[in-house]
Amino acid sequence: MFSYAWLILALPLLGFIGLSWFGNKISKKQAGYAGCATVGLSFLVTLVVLSELLALEPEKRLGHVETLYQWVSSGSFKLDLAILIDPLSVFMFLIVTGVGFLIHVYSIEYMKGDPEYSRFFAYMNLFIFSMLLLVAAADFFFLIVGWALVGLASYLLIGFWKEKTSAVLAARKAFVMNVIGDVGMVIAALMIFQNFGSLSYMDVFSAAPDQFRSNDDTMVMITLLLLVGAFAKSAQIPLHTWLPDAMEGPTPVSALIHAATMVTAGVYLIARCHVLYELAPITMYLIAGVGALTAVFAGTMGMVQYDIKRVIAYSTMSQLGYMFLAVGIGVFSFGMFHLMTHAFFKALLFLSAGSVIHGLNGEQDIRKMGGLRFAMPLTHITFLVGAICLAGVPLTSGFFSKEAIIMSSFHAEMGNIVFWAMGVLTAGMTGFYIFRVYFYTFMGKSRNPEAHPHESPKIMAGPLLILAFFALVMGFSAHWVDQFLGPVFGVAAHHYEDSMLEAIVVLAGLGGILIAGIVYMTSKDKLEFAKQALAPVYDVLFNKYYIDEIYDFLIVKPVRAIGAFFEQKVEKEGIDYVVDQVGSQVRGISQGISFLQSGKIRTYALNMVVGMVAILLFVVFL
Amino acid sequence: MFEITYEVVVFILGITAVLAAFGVILCASPIYCALYLIGNMVCFALLFLLFHAEFIAAAQIIIYAGAVMILFLFIIALLGGAKEIAEPSVQRSSAFAFVILLFGELLLAAGVEPTRPITGDLAPDVINAIGSAKAVGIELFSRHLIAFELASILLLIATVGIICLAKYSYLPARKPSK
Amino acid sequence: MGNQFVLIISASIFCIGTVGFLIRRNPLIMLMSVELMLNSVNFLLIGYSSILQTLDGQIFALIILTVAAAEVVVGLAIILTIFRTRHDLNVDHINVLKG
Repeated sequence: MFSYAWLILALPLLGFIGLSWFGNKISKKQAGYAGCATVGLSFLVTLVVLSELLALEPEKRLGHVETLYQWVSSGSFKLDLAILIDPLSVFMFLIVTGVGFLIHVYSIEYMKGDPEYSRFFAYMNLFIFSMLLLVAAADFFFLIVGWALVGLASYLLIGFWKEKTSAVLAARKAFVMNVIGDVGMVIAALMIFQNFGSLSYMDVFSAAPDQFRSNDDTMVMITLLLLVGAFAKSAQIPLHTWLPDAMEGPTPVSALIHAATMVTAGVYLIARCHVLYELAPITMYLIAGVGALTAVFAGTMGMVQYDIKRVIAYSTMSQLGYMFLAVGIGVFSFGMFHLMTHAFFKALLFLSAGSVIHGLNGEQDIRKMGGLRFAMPLTHITFLVGAICLAGVPLTSGFFSKEAIIMSSFHAEMGNIVFWAMGVLTAGMTGFYIFRVYFYTFMGKSRNPEAHPHESPKIMAGPLLILAFFALVMGFSAHWVDQFLGPVFGVAAHHYEDSMLEAIVVLAGLGGILIAGIVYMTSKDKLEFAKQALAPVYDVLFNKYYIDEIYDFLIVKPVRAIGAFFEQKVEKEGIDYVVDQVGSQVRGISQGISFLQSGKIRTYALNMVVGMVAILLFVVFL
Repeated sequence: MFEITYEVVVFILGITAVLAAFGVILCASPIYCALYLIGNMVCFALLFLLFHAEFIAAAQIIIYAGAVMILFLFIIALLGGAKEIAEPSVQRSSAFAFVILLFGELLLAAGVEPTRPITGDLAPDVINAIGSAKAVGIELFSRHLIAFELASILLLIATVGIICLAKYSYLPARKPSK
Repeated sequence: MGNQFVLIISASIFCIGTVGFLIRRNPLIMLMSVELMLNSVNFLLIGYSSILQTLDGQIFALIILTVAAAEVVVGLAIILTIFRTRHDLNVDHINVLKG
């Protein structure tokens, strides 16, 4: 009954193909509008699907598999070209196409000066298509196809400014990290096929509870391998290093891929495979632990960065940590809810930051900004909205979703005080770092007298305002989201009421904001002593805990050293010598008999025939 | 009255194939050579039909007589089918001599009675019951799967080779040295 | 019509192909002669597959068909490349590999 849902996927794909074939034949304007139109139409189709889904009974909304045709049927192995329509996938469709559409519209203006305008929109459409394929897949095969395509699109978009070396390097880093995850996913899929004889979600999820006991070795292995993919895509420790570097791409890309959609794929994967994860509580604890750790860890790094986009990138990692914490302690719908609110306010923050960067002609260092509240009033408001949502100021969307997760981390079955404390700590840091950026950027006086900031044009303001609206009010849809997603996860998550804990969380967030205010509004010299005292900590944080250096020291350097040794001793003095000797000896001998080589094919053929005659003679007569 | 039996048809087709093969190597103009080769292949395809290898016969017609020979004709059209004048040479006479020797040996080898009895269990009626294409398919995808996969790799390599040959232009080679 | 007939026809065409390869100087016709040789082998395999009542010969012939197709395409591409650089189709003039 949802066969038209294929349009959701087909439209962006059409946009990608069309723009890549005819992109240079049409004007910039047409290319931009075409790119937006496909995603916009896809969003409209999603709305139709949603309305039809809502008309059904809650329990009948599950498991609508729309098969286009049977692709492979070989023995017991069957592979259909099919998509799965259920509340979870439609929920993700809404976020991907909705936020994606707004970001596309924003890009029309943002990328105006770029000569390769249509290539940008082609890639963006490819990304939307891949992401939709990832969430729409009805089996692990197409999940992995979408997964890999998303990685590819991310690679292409991070490295979009291909003349910039740092962008190309960042793109490569992101791709390699993602491929590490892909390998885990592929092995997991093979194990699933080995154990269940099918790759389809329906078959696997219905068979899993009967076939495996809780914490069965195979199940833990499968879930861990899937988790490698999820961690790589969602930039969780230890596969997180690519995300901050990915900020080399154009800002709309950061907003779309590295905030709203792609990085949430890991959370989606765990939510989608919740049946498997519920059978492996060990893995769940690991997820929650890594999530909480990443939340704290990324928060601390975010506090000291000076690149406006990097701060937001670290906050993305930190918020993703919250989502992993949520799905790790089994409150899947809270994780998805935070995913949605985060998509809105983080896209908003990125686009506002993009607007600042655009207004300052490419400046990204917050130390060179300041006083922008007068020059860019609209951006100021939208950034502030994004910041209060991120910091979890009461009654904004971030407050509802974050509070739900932190509450559950204490009260839920799998929650404990450590997770809760880490959540609260992160909440405090979140308030601090985002308002630090805010104060640096919009308050005070301009630090760079040569800058002439200007407000961004209307076409960029529109998406900002819409996102700001949703970021503010979507928090009130918590109950609705819970009910909508409830059937997918079996039970609706329980909201825990505990006014004491709630107050602590709110105070932590507000306290962070307050400290940021005090630190950055007071004059510099008074803080000098504090800076001195905190310098070592600051260095560690600013250098991102030296993770890149540690990887370099532990993996790259030893491999290089071993390589150098082998090159000198084994390669040059061992193998090469033997090879050279063989070569020179053969050369010497062949120079002696080279007169046999006439260079004429027919002579060679005749020699072959003579040989054939001789051999046959032997065979027939002897 | 001369009766057209299975044997007679096979015999006539075999002789025609041999005559067409002579045509291929004796015609001066490449275009006639190609046409004779098509004739030869069609004769073979018909013989394959008579040997209950319907699938291979169809493949022979489509791939060989169809695709491959069309390619040949295109290339001939592109390069021009210059006639070739035969001139006696040492190469020529020694070629004849050795090939006649080879043929004699092959005939002698053909005279040896087969040592291996008929062992297969796929008599023509068995194959007809499942259908030639299906029988070949089952065989190909079960017992000969690796050969099949290797053939696919071979085709891939050929494709890559062609692309490389077609893509890069080469500098003029050394002048022919007589 | 026994196996002798198959063997003789196959051997004749194989030898004809060999002669063609050895006496012609046009690379296109040489390639066609190679096709003749391959075809004669195919014929032998299929004839014997029918006589021995197995399908192995047919599978073998199918693989040879693939090889022949690949060989022709690569061969023709090489001939074309050579022609593009030398404008000459006589194999005796192509002796850059002379030792």
